[in-house]
Amino acid sequence: MDQRALFFFVASVVAALIVPVAAEELRYVPTTVSVVYVILAAASYLDWRTNKR
Amino acid sequence: MEDAALWFVIAVALAFDFTNGMHDAANSIATVVATRVLSPRFAVIWAAFFNFVAFLVFKTHVASTIAKDVVEQDILSIGVIFAGLMGAIGWNMLTWYLGLPSSSSHALVGGMVGAAVAKSGFGSVVSSGLSKIGVFIVLAPLIGLALGFIVMVLVLQFSQKAKNVDKLNRGFRKMQLVSAGAYSLGHGGNDAQKTMGVILALLIATGHAGADSDVPLWVVLSAHTAIALGTLSGGWRIVHTMGSKITRLQPAGGVAAESAAAATLFFVSANGIPVSTTHTITGCIVGVGSIQRLSAVRWGVAGRVVWAWILTIPGAATVAALLYLMLKPF
Repeated sequence: MDQRALFFFVASVVAALIVPVAAEELRYVPTTVSVVYVILAAASYLDWRTNKR
Repeated sequence: MEDAALWFVIAVALAFDFTNGMHDAANSIATVVATRVLSPRFAVIWAAFFNFVAFLVFKTHVASTIAKDVVEQDILSIGVIFAGLMGAIGWNMLTWYLGLPSSSSHALVGGMVGAAVAKSGFGSVVSSGLSKIGVFIVLAPLIGLALGFIVMVLVLQFSQKAKNVDKLNRGFRKMQLVSAGAYSLGHGGNDAQKTMGVILALLIATGHAGADSDVPLWVVLSAHTAIALGTLSGGWRIVHTMGSKITRLQPAGGVAAESAAAATLFFVSANGIPVSTTHTITGCIVGVGSIQRLSAVRWGVAGRVVWAWILTIPGAATVAALLYLMLKPF
C-alpha cells in the first residue's frame, strides 16, 4: 500500500472533520483543503501503482 | 500608578515580541541557511529587514482578533494581561532552552486564556474566537504541507525540462532569496500583530483607546522593531532542528517550502487569523520532503514538534493561571 496516499487520505479526513466546527465564513477553507488532499491521495496512489508495474 | 503599570506591561509585551523573534523568526532563515544560500549572519539581517517592513503590507486584522476575540473585553485588566504574557514568555523560554520549535502564538493565546480563566472562570473566554484560532492550529500546517508538496511537484516538472543543471541550481539559489524574504514578510505580518493585539487590549482595558479603535502607529512600529531585533539576536538551536533534522533540503526545496509558507501566511493574515508560523513552515518542509517518499521525513523529530504544539496552550495557560493567582493579592 502507498503510505503517502494513505497519509494524504487521513489528512483529507482530518480537514473534513474540521468543517462543521469552523466559522461559517471560513468553512470553505477546510472544505477546499479536504478536496485537495483527496486529489493528492488519488494522484499519489496512481503514481505508486504506475511505478510498481 | 496605573500609568506606570501600563507602560511596564507594554514593555513586557515588547519583550515577548523580542522572544518571539528569537524563538520563531529563526524559522525564517532555517532553509536559506540549511541550503547555504546565505551565511547565517546575512540570513538573519535579511529576515529581520522583511520582518520590520511587513507593516507596510498587512492591515492589522490579526491584532484585532487577539485584542477582541480571545478573552471577553470586560475581563481584561493589566493584571490578566501581565500574567498571560509572563506565562507565554516562561513557556517560550522553557521550550527554547530545550531546543523545541514550540509556538509563541499559541503560548500567548494560552497565557491570556489561563489568566482570564483564573480571574473569572471559563465564561471569560470568547469561544467563537478561540475556535477560529483552534481550527487553524490544525489547518495551517495542513495547508502548508499540501502547498509545499504541490509547489515542489511544479518545481520538479520545470527542472526536468532544464538542460543545464548548474545554471538551474544557481537560479533556485537566487529565487530562494525572494522566497525567504516573502516568508519573513508573512512572518512579521502575522507574529508582530499578536503583540500589537496585546498592547491594543491593554490600551482599551485602561481607557486609553476606545473599544473599536485601530492599532495606533507607534504600537505598530514598536512591535515590528521588537520582532526584528529578536530575529537579529537569533535562535540557532531551533534553526538546526527546522533546517536539517526534519528533512534535508536543496535550494529548489527551500524555494518550494518558503513560497508555500509565505502564501499560507499571507492568506491567514488577510483573514485576521493568528497562526503559528512554526507550524506553517514545518508543514511546508514536510510537504517538500515527502515528494519522493514519506521516509525522507524524519518523523521522530516531526512528532516531537507536534507534542510541543499540543502542550503549548495548556502549558502556557497553567503557568499564566498560577502566576495570576500568585499576583492577585498585590
